[in-house]
Amino acid sequence: MTGRRRWSLTKWVSGTFSVFALLALAALLVLFIRQSLPVWRQEGWGFLTGKRWFYRQEEFGLAPMLHGTVAVALVALGLAAPLGIGAAIFTAEFLSTRLRLIVKVAIELLAGIPSVVYGLLGILLLRDWVYEAMERFEPLSGDTLLTGGILLGVMILPTIMTLSDDALRTVPASQRLAARALGLNSTETVLHVSLRQALPGLVAAILLAVGRACGEMIAVFLVVGRQDNQWPDKLFSAKPLLEAGQTLSTKLGSSETNIAYGDPLHWAAMVALGLVLLALVTFITAIGVRLQRSPHET
Amino acid sequence: MRRKFIHHFFRLATGLCAAAACAVLGLIVWAIVKRGWPAINWRFFTEQILLVGADGGIFYNLLGTGILLVTAFCVSAPVALSLALLHGVYLPPKRRGTLALLLYILNGVPSILFGIFGMIVFVQFLGWGKSWLTGGILLGFMILPTVTIALMERISAIPRKFGEAAAALGLRESQIIRAVILPQSVGGLVTGSLLGLARAAGETAPIMFTATIFAGATMPSGIKESPVLSLPYHIFILAQDSFDPAVGSKLWGTALTLLMLVFLLSLAALPARLKLKQPAHHD
Amino acid sequence: MKLAILFPTLLSLSAAAETLKINGSTTVNLPVAEAAEVLRAEKKMDIQIDTQGGSSGGISMLGEGLVQVGMISKHVSQTDREKFPKCQYKEIQIGEDAVALIVSKDVWEGGVKTVTKEQVADIYEGRIKNWKEVGGPDRRIVFFNKEPGRGTWEVFVHWLYGDPKKAPQVSFPEVGGNEETRNKVASTKGALSQLSSSWADGKTVFALSLKVDGKEIAPVTANIASRIYPLSRPLFVLTNGEPSGESKVLIDFLLSERGQQLVKKHGYLPLAELKAPETRP
Repeated sequence: MTGRRRWSLTKWVSGTFSVFALLALAALLVLFIRQSLPVWRQEGWGFLTGKRWFYRQEEFGLAPMLHGTVAVALVALGLAAPLGIGAAIFTAEFLSTRLRLIVKVAIELLAGIPSVVYGLLGILLLRDWVYEAMERFEPLSGDTLLTGGILLGVMILPTIMTLSDDALRTVPASQRLAARALGLNSTETVLHVSLRQALPGLVAAILLAVGRACGEMIAVFLVVGRQDNQWPDKLFSAKPLLEAGQTLSTKLGSSETNIAYGDPLHWAAMVALGLVLLALVTFITAIGVRLQRSPHET
Repeated sequence: MRRKFIHHFFRLATGLCAAAACAVLGLIVWAIVKRGWPAINWRFFTEQILLVGADGGIFYNLLGTGILLVTAFCVSAPVALSLALLHGVYLPPKRRGTLALLLYILNGVPSILFGIFGMIVFVQFLGWGKSWLTGGILLGFMILPTVTIALMERISAIPRKFGEAAAALGLRESQIIRAVILPQSVGGLVTGSLLGLARAAGETAPIMFTATIFAGATMPSGIKESPVLSLPYHIFILAQDSFDPAVGSKLWGTALTLLMLVFLLSLAALPARLKLKQPAHHD
Repeated sequence: MKLAILFPTLLSLSAAAETLKINGSTTVNLPVAEAAEVLRAEKKMDIQIDTQGGSSGGISMLGEGLVQVGMISKHVSQTDREKFPKCQYKEIQIGEDAVALIVSKDVWEGGVKTVTKEQVADIYEGRIKNWKEVGGPDRRIVFFNKEPGRGTWEVFVHWLYGDPKKAPQVSFPEVGGNEETRNKVASTKGALSQLSSSWADGKTVFALSLKVDGKEIAPVTANIASRIYPLSRPLFVLTNGEPSGESKVLIDFLLSERGQQLVKKHGYLPLAELKAPETRP
């Protein structure tokens, strides 16, 4: 725009609102850091690595919850990423524009199903289903990290699908045409041209979905069992998946948030939990956004 | 021969993925509709909760969710417009990326953290009880990135010649904004808001500690101590506490209502989004 | 911004409304919420009810002055009083209930009908992990613990250990609401949890008897009324000082014939059926 630049009412108003928004964001960060200080002072880095959380004894360690969060997110990803990307390849590469649009609209609608509705389905249907399907592995109950992960997988499926579809569609049509002209069929074009070109975008789709998954509370809350101190004996085994667990966000949604309110140290621990979750999700999201915005620079 | 086989196999496999994904999601909608439909009738939308959820309807829950959404819109719209102008007009191009990144990060912030943030600011600092305004502001912040990004896209899609023509006529920057950019970006504001509100309507985590209660709230008559009922919180509470089997059907009815509300909001945004996508494909 | 114009008008309105706010236990919520429905319809009272944080949520929100009436399914403890020294907690009993130890169908049919206090403590502390150790089927015990802050949990550990603070450090899968508890126990083999006895329907979940001094005592009306069943508990509404105004109207209604009928309707014992006074240290 080439209008003459000077302070006008419009600029002033929009500047004020913008500053207000950025201040609120900064306030969120500052408040979370400040209010969590007491627990950092008491536990130090042990807050992250500690395996015991007993608030009545003022012991706060969130390693088991980190494990829970990662486990649930990985299960979700393991289900949703192959299915979602596979489906996106089909809609982006093999479907006619009109059909693709219809599928995409439907999928984006489904991305909007509220998490509390997923929670309801989870507690009344999925729990029992997992419990029966896994019977020979003898899970204690249907409330397991696996149940939470499956539910999350279904929840992030539309996100992965539609973002992957977008990523594949940003590959210029000219590149596809060139590949076809060289004699490749459409599958080979996808494998050698589209997927390679869209790779950063696909990774971004996965990361953004994982960011969502880590922060999801309500749905997981109702099916994960909310059992504290579930640090697994063997870190890289699938067995803990069939046990109940706790994630960072389900802890934040539990009755402990109410109980902690008014008790400085316990409250600090809960807020610190939130801070760790914020850092984790922000980190994942930021990488995702970076990748998404530079799709053709590699 | 082998090439052909791989080709067919690949197409089949991805097609199956697409079919499976659509089937899973279709089943979910079917499961909700099947259970929720019997509860839906006119009374369900016009009456208040009776017998602790086992009878009556969800009128005040709808009203409460409506109030929260309108407030969220009123909070997010001016801020989003300002940020979009900042991005499209005032900021030097180098800084624009940073602003966009901030918005994407804000978009990723888990909704439960907004709930805790709201508790610190409004309950702890300001001494408010549960209030519709707290909920509206928190939801407004949650949808801010969606609204702003939709606006940013709309503004950057305005043909340069519009601005140049206006400048050639001797209009000042603020006049160009008011005469050209704002009218052109209304569509973006509406689309972004509808999409954002579709997400906000179903959120429980930000409002459960700060804005909504189980029963008895009607039209709020004040601010500080005026909670509302809401659809998602109703589902969340009854999913954990429904003594009477009769609650079950009402519960699914509420879930179906919420689902329809969310779908309606996103569908309303659809025509504008399809239009928006077209010019982008020409680049 | 439109809100700026709305603000003053709304603030001026808020002074006029006399809203009675209630928060607390989901167990007590059932009769109180229904009583509130009656009062709303008949006396045009403005009553708002929530169940945030269970009993301890009721105590703390009354302590902070956010509500006028709390609902609790346990006593206000000394710790609670120390946390909110300014609040004159007044407990008003509206009925009696019991915490039952409920099990799933397979356990019940497998022969476990009674447990002793020692056995329960052993299960809670993880020394007994299989039902066959208490005379049941060879199946692992799946204990769903009520989440902290719930009155049910406090009554349970008070019975086992005398004081929630003395309860050992344990971690089990947690459940919150009563229906969540019932649903999860009913759908899990070998399950055990604590639940308000009125929710133990005898069809999907079953209430165990407790063996005290060689006698088996079931959480049935007669034993709760005479307080022989050790886990009986009073259900209270809670006010700050003597109830007055709108709170008093609600409490008078709850204690009236009609209010007591509601208590009974939801499976709790109305005051008239209570036989023995509470004995509590």
